[in-house]
Amino acid sequence: MIVEAMLDRLELPAVASARLAQLVDRARPCVVQVRSGWRGAGAGIIWRTDGHILTNYHVIAASQRGAAIPVVLADGRTFAAQVVDHNAALDLALLKIAAPDLPVLPIGDSTRLRVGELVFAIGHPWGQTNFVTAGIVSGLAIALRDNQHQIPYIQSDVRLAPGNSGGPLLNVAGQVVGINAMIAGGDLSVAIPIHVALERFLRV
Amino acid sequence: MEATYSDPQLLSMLSNQMADAVERIGSALVMVNGRQRQAASGIVYAPDLVLTADHVLEREDNLTIQTHDQRTLAAQFVGRDPSTDLAVLRVNDLGLTPAATAADPARVGQLTLVVGRPSSSGPMASLGIVSAVGGPLRMRRGLLLEQYIRTDAIPYPGFSGGPLIDGQGAVLGILTTGLISGATLAIPTPIAWRIASTLAQQGFIKRGFLGISSQPVHLPEAQRAGRTQEQGLLIVRVEPGSPAEAGGMLIGDILVSLDGQSVTDTDDLQPLLMNERVGKTVPVEVIRGGSLHTLHVTIGQR
Repeated sequence: MIVEAMLDRLELPAVASARLAQLVDRARPCVVQVRSGWRGAGAGIIWRTDGHILTNYHVIAASQRGAAIPVVLADGRTFAAQVVDHNAALDLALLKIAAPDLPVLPIGDSTRLRVGELVFAIGHPWGQTNFVTAGIVSGLAIALRDNQHQIPYIQSDVRLAPGNSGGPLLNVAGQVVGINAMIAGGDLSVAIPIHVALERFLRV
Repeated sequence: MEATYSDPQLLSMLSNQMADAVERIGSALVMVNGRQRQAASGIVYAPDLVLTADHVLEREDNLTIQTHDQRTLAAQFVGRDPSTDLAVLRVNDLGLTPAATAADPARVGQLTLVVGRPSSSGPMASLGIVSAVGGPLRMRRGLLLEQYIRTDAIPYPGFSGGPLIDGQGAVLGILTTGLISGATLAIPTPIAWRIASTLAQQGFIKRGFLGISSQPVHLPEAQRAGRTQEQGLLIVRVEPGSPAEAGGMLIGDILVSLDGQSVTDTDDLQPLLMNERVGKTVPVEVIRGGSLHTLHVTIGQR
């Protein structure tokens, strides 16, 4: 009863908004812009404090082999990145910039995502930098690639546009649960679960 | 109190409760296979009965549903109402608890989820708010829907026949995106459940007709022939061979009541011509030549 009385006096929309704003403030410095390709390029997630950056393969696929890729940090500094590794089937790439002591995001457990839970994305749709959109996990499905590889993916109603690719999908704890990869049918966003990146790409 | 204001748990609680709502409705949410392309959704609204959208049933036999626990079961066609885009299927030994219905009607601004089961990979959901609650809405075949709900939540392919739910997972309405192309429209639960129960009993909805065209006209006080209403319906056309003609209605009559219920607008008429009145002879009051006449009209069905 005491708890209910307390909740009654809380302005939940204000509380929820304040918390979301706090999570966004923490996450923004960990999101970069990858300037290759076209249409506002893509986004990337600072993966390790030593300058490793996780993004989508399709964001950097058009770059010349060995050419440096400009990566812009949230504070405006630009670095030349090299591609360290990539996996076209998973649509993932790992870049490296020569910048020490970068901030990183906490990693969530994407195997425990639930349909209906709140998520938000940070990216640069159509080149608008550090744009935040929110929604829910709309579905959890499995894609079949090349008739053999089963790849789980996250569907969400979070609005994405070209330029969001490679950016993080975050949960309400501010943890990365996915890498935003594409838009299906105009309004369904698709993200690669972070556990898939960890198990099949980053630890290989 | 101030300490709890920024409590990070509250956003998590909101998030968890929305996921709980999807989980709760999930067990009463089925996939409906009744057309060539994209499967659709349906909701268990009564024991062994599933409510879905009419337009997703391209056939009336060889229908199946798939449940949350991955059972594929044969479904018998029970009835359909193309006017409201609702249909009912019976699934023997379904054994699922019917969906909970919301105690309160939808409110504009209320957080809402649209859910569906378009494939066997689990339920899908999209978040939005109730954008409008309105009505009456004129639909196909001249039908009037007393009330509708609109939402900005995205109905993904295969969501038709699925529910619009509140934060507790209770059903606010049934999604019938086939009704008005492009707009996410839901039929409020009380109306949908009522139509479903009629469909389960008789397989179709009886909608009566008189066979007239009319328009509302103002009745000056001196011409009300003792009635208190300020408007009536001026008959501008009587279909040959129609119930109205058989009952003696004439062009120029002003219709003021039907079966004791006042008629002041064209929208008043249709709800009076439903179900139990169909086929019955009812008193119809008209103002003709300045005085009130009572005619007896047998309401037809088409």
